[in-house]
Amino acid sequence: MVNVIVLIKQMPDLEQIRSDPGTGKPIKNGVPTKLETLSENSIEAAVTLKEKYGGKVTAILFGNEQSSASMKRAYAMGVDDGYIITGYKESNYLFTARVLAEKIKELPHDVIILGNQSADTFSGFLSGQLSAILGEPLLGNSVSIEIEGDIVKVKRNLENKSLVISAKKPAIVSVSQEINEPRLPPVMQIMAAGRKPIHTEVPKIQPSGSVQIVSEISPKSDRKKIIFEDVDKGVSEVGKILKEATR
Amino acid sequence: MKALVFSESSTLAAQVISGLKSVLDFSVAVPKDQADSVSEYGAKEVISLDGNPQMDAFGKKISELMNSYDFLFVPSTVLGREVAGYVSAALGQISVPEISKFEIVDSKCKTSSLSLGGKSIIDIISDAKVLTVAPGFADPVKVSEKSKISVMTLPDSSVSVISEEEKKGTGVNIESAKVIVSIGRGIGKKESISIVDPLLKAVHGELAGSRPVCLDYQWLSEDRQVGLSGKKVNPNVYIAVGISGQIQHIAGMRGSKIVVAINRDKSAPIFEECDYGIVGDLFQVIPKLVAAING
Repeated sequence: MVNVIVLIKQMPDLEQIRSDPGTGKPIKNGVPTKLETLSENSIEAAVTLKEKYGGKVTAILFGNEQSSASMKRAYAMGVDDGYIITGYKESNYLFTARVLAEKIKELPHDVIILGNQSADTFSGFLSGQLSAILGEPLLGNSVSIEIEGDIVKVKRNLENKSLVISAKKPAIVSVSQEINEPRLPPVMQIMAAGRKPIHTEVPKIQPSGSVQIVSEISPKSDRKKIIFEDVDKGVSEVGKILKEATR
Repeated sequence: MKALVFSESSTLAAQVISGLKSVLDFSVAVPKDQADSVSEYGAKEVISLDGNPQMDAFGKKISELMNSYDFLFVPSTVLGREVAGYVSAALGQISVPEISKFEIVDSKCKTSSLSLGGKSIIDIISDAKVLTVAPGFADPVKVSEKSKISVMTLPDSSVSVISEEEKKGTGVNIESAKVIVSIGRGIGKKESISIVDPLLKAVHGELAGSRPVCLDYQWLSEDRQVGLSGKKVNPNVYIAVGISGQIQHIAGMRGSKIVVAINRDKSAPIFEECDYGIVGDLFQVIPKLVAAING
């Protein structure tokens, strides 16, 4: 039996963010939200462990009042119990780690699973932060997880090498996108998930340190954007340019 | 003010030192196999870390060392991000990820980072002490005087290494290529990659690929992956073949001078990020394009 905590987050659907041509700023209002990409892989990994060894999966999401859709998705994928903590502060990574750690300390667990680097901020801080705060070993950027008795063993993927590493439970495991293909829950499970209660709480601590976003703009593309829909014409023009540029 | 750089890569550490040594006094801490190569970039001191090179060991040691420094810079790699997180939480200090610019304004940090998956650039003013640095921060510049090297022992790690395997690379360095032909999912299957061979010859290019091609399907080796999680390239010419142009891919090739895109989907986002685009089936376009270049 394993007790798994999975940490998930909700983010804006990034592909749907457009830039305001007047201000050059990204338009964030009205953009639909979704479960963050690696959170799906994390849930899949957690539920797979439960299916293999038996046990329970508890999800924690630090977000806001609008985060319940993502938690319902997690339920539909096989998560047993879910906590939403409201009051997320953008770009204050220390606060995020401390709030999550406070909640994790209340819940008995063998393994904490989370994404290695979220698709919106790319910070990749959380796994190391939690390891420092909770004093639990980190098995980071994993592409496979096994549990043998008291030992958690993973395959860790680094830029220039891969390692098989292990540590004693309880351990933190961050996962890479390659670890699995998240399941698409059947309609019956989606409907059942909608009726399942979600615990909602507020943080027990206050943010410290000052982090102020002073400007946010869309990256500019100065590309020429000369598009040929006539292949023969395009090939002839682009061929000339490439011949010149690569001689 | 004094800053420490930690990295498992002397090349990445050298980028940070070279980019900021005019404003900060640097020491640099690296695993011992990197100590010699990092000593040529003008750091006041190189700290060579000896022991089991695992995240928590680095995290504990760097946290101790931070008593003597105002800032910690860590180039963004898998290990680097973990160590930066560890140190930030161990010291209770604010951290900022993936910076591409850094200055000190009224004793606070002003930094720029990509956010929203590359859809925005945010400027942050903060009390940050720990910063991860996006790849390509600055060009490494060697100096004549070598840094002095001191050796320190890493504390024990709670993680055991069972086995370790170097990744099979092809020895290719797409970051220094002048011309890149990059393939995406649109190529369909591994066997079809040979369609671009004549194009590679015609433009004297190096072959690269998107994340799905290199990581998910493994049709190309990982050292050829362009993108946020792969290499950041800046060739004179970048030819994107069958690549839709997800923002994570664009983040890896934004530095290219001329971008050419070939894709059969007229609405593919790559056409918003190219100089010249041809809408059409790559299997028909490429032979014609090769003929046009060679003709």
